[in-house]
Amino acid sequence: MKNVIHVKPQQMINAFLVFFVVHTTQIGVGIHGFQRIIYQESKQDAWFSVLVIGIVSHVIVIVMIKTLEMYDSHDLYGINREVFGTWIGNFINVIYFFYCSVAFFSVLINYIEVIQTWIFPLLSTWFISATLLLLVIYTFLGGLRVIVGVSFFSFMLAFWLIFVLVFPLQYSDPQSLFPILESKFIDILKGAKAMTFTIIGFEILYIIFPFVKDKKNIRKPVHYGLLVTTLMYLAVILVSLTYFSGEQLSKTIWATLSLFSIVQFPFLERFEFLAVCFWMLIILPNLCLYVWAAHRGLTGMINISAKKFIWLFSCIVLLLTFFIKSRIQINSINNIFGQVAFYIVFIYPLFLYVLALVKKKLTS
Amino acid sequence: MIKKLGLVILSLTLLIGGCAEQKLLEKIGLITLAGYDLNEDGKVVTTAVIRQVDPEFQSMVTTSSAVNDSSLGALTEINRKTTKKLMQGQMRITLFGETLATEGIGSFLNTLSKNSSTSSGILLAMTAGNAKELLEYPYKNINDVGQEIYKLIEQNVDAELVTSSTLHEVSQDYYSVGRDMIIPIIERKEEVIEVTGVALFNKDKLVGQLPAKDSFYLLLIRGKFKSGKFETTIPGDIFSSNQSDSSEPVPVVLDTISSTKKLKLTDKNVPEFELQINLNGRILELDAEMDFDNPVEIEKLEKAINQSLTEELKSILDYCQEINSDVFGLGKQYRSQVRNSKLTHESWHAKYPTAKVNIKINFKILRSGVFE
Repeated sequence: MKNVIHVKPQQMINAFLVFFVVHTTQIGVGIHGFQRIIYQESKQDAWFSVLVIGIVSHVIVIVMIKTLEMYDSHDLYGINREVFGTWIGNFINVIYFFYCSVAFFSVLINYIEVIQTWIFPLLSTWFISATLLLLVIYTFLGGLRVIVGVSFFSFMLAFWLIFVLVFPLQYSDPQSLFPILESKFIDILKGAKAMTFTIIGFEILYIIFPFVKDKKNIRKPVHYGLLVTTLMYLAVILVSLTYFSGEQLSKTIWATLSLFSIVQFPFLERFEFLAVCFWMLIILPNLCLYVWAAHRGLTGMINISAKKFIWLFSCIVLLLTFFIKSRIQINSINNIFGQVAFYIVFIYPLFLYVLALVKKKLTS
Repeated sequence: MIKKLGLVILSLTLLIGGCAEQKLLEKIGLITLAGYDLNEDGKVVTTAVIRQVDPEFQSMVTTSSAVNDSSLGALTEINRKTTKKLMQGQMRITLFGETLATEGIGSFLNTLSKNSSTSSGILLAMTAGNAKELLEYPYKNINDVGQEIYKLIEQNVDAELVTSSTLHEVSQDYYSVGRDMIIPIIERKEEVIEVTGVALFNKDKLVGQLPAKDSFYLLLIRGKFKSGKFETTIPGDIFSSNQSDSSEPVPVVLDTISSTKKLKLTDKNVPEFELQINLNGRILELDAEMDFDNPVEIEKLEKAINQSLTEELKSILDYCQEINSDVFGLGKQYRSQVRNSKLTHESWHAKYPTAKVNIKINFKILRSGVFE
């Protein structure tokens, strides 16, 4: 049983902290502009798509936990090796490693683009990415508990942003939601699929599971985390659908930030600038957890110290950000990544669960 | 040692590279207002009101204009004429000249929405005639014409005398199917600037105007109205106590305290709508003898008010249908009630002129002041 992960008690985290981990990994850059992507598919019924994908994510998580419980102290990488054997298992692990890395990269470039379009058009890409990467390196080297701590604080410090939606609510018109369920069912499902890029993140559960102290109690925090995320997306999409008129929404690239741009305080003229800067807090756990998950995958295959890994990883990412500059490039990365992520996050767990069950039956 | 050196180099590069573009207040000119006109050659004339802050003197307000094909191109032109770098971040108002509005302002709305340095809360207005003339007139009592116009419109919006015309709200209508946008009209009257009316659009083109007093009805139907004053006239012969010239119309000033609006599509083939408006309010001024303790009298008065409101509303509606500008959002209601209507701007505007609206107004007098 070489795939068993032995975690020292002082490295473990409490089950309730998984709530923050799941929630903060889900909320990231996707929320900035997911509205128009779903709107293109399911029009004024876009909020049904959010609801559908929210429910589906709950189902997937149930399957994930069932799989993980079959192999008590394994993470996904270990289970892959157990189920498929070392070679095929490692091959899948490499794919998963790249998936986590691309997720990291995509969060980074999306955030950089937002900073550049909204606040500092002249600020160079390498500067923002170097700053963020240094922050990630620092957090990552602190270990999992520090990363989880970051996601806890990220949630606590950024949760209030959702209440700012009250301001655009004054301009919204509920009429735009009618007639309800005009779109075809298949379009709603398409919209739900288009949500993938925004809702993924809970697959981190696959990796973090062995590090949880009281594994029996993990269900509640995970589902609450998903629920809070889904409700948040639901609130944002409902406000967006009523605040913008149809064509206007499909032309707005970062609808959430545009929602914020109507907010004005006597002491703060442009609230969205604050929001964009504040978003760094929200994406930090995203970045840290994805790079941590990538590292977990790599250590199972080759021997590399965390320090070496993170510096190498950061350098490669920094280099890659030089090549990605335009909106079109970033958009196509998001699209392709969203497509692939759909299969990795929503389809693969089901497949894995069935195979693990079959394998267990055969060997016993 | 090497580690420390590395850290020093790293932090230095970050420090140097991290200097974003500086915008010192002394070195920039803040555009507080931009006005756009169309000249005879079809080019855009941009007039900017620029506020320059000087720590030693009072801040200076100047207007400057340029002619160019595009709105932002003209801004570069203006920049050539000023000593300071122009910034749009403090822009509060955008004005459109009448000729430009007739030609269409869609591309301007698009450009303004695209620009991340301007907020979506900036106000839009149309000038009767030329924006440039209005801005460049040497007003005796107005120091900062940009601020003046902004305060004028903001105050009127707050008092619910004109519709709020923030960029967001206007483009919400512009991009929607089934509601046309409206923006207030301002005009120079001698030494003062005042709100004189409402400009009605079809898609992005100006097609008609209503006097400022009619904004009340527009506000009422568009569903943003909460409370406000308005004036109407009722026939004089309803007052039994009135002796002589009974047929003369009597002006009455009312103040609504609360209002509800219900718009419903009753027949989608005509299309026919039912508009029910309930108003609760008080009488502020009534130029006739009247017994406010008599319920029969009150009812008569309410009836007369309802009658006159309905008539005025009807005439506004007829006018809007005539110029084919659906500022009431009937199309929006149609779209939200008819399944799979696949409504487009064109298909709705083919139906709209013949749409029927049955107006039912119910005004209830709650109070009539402290003195009878």
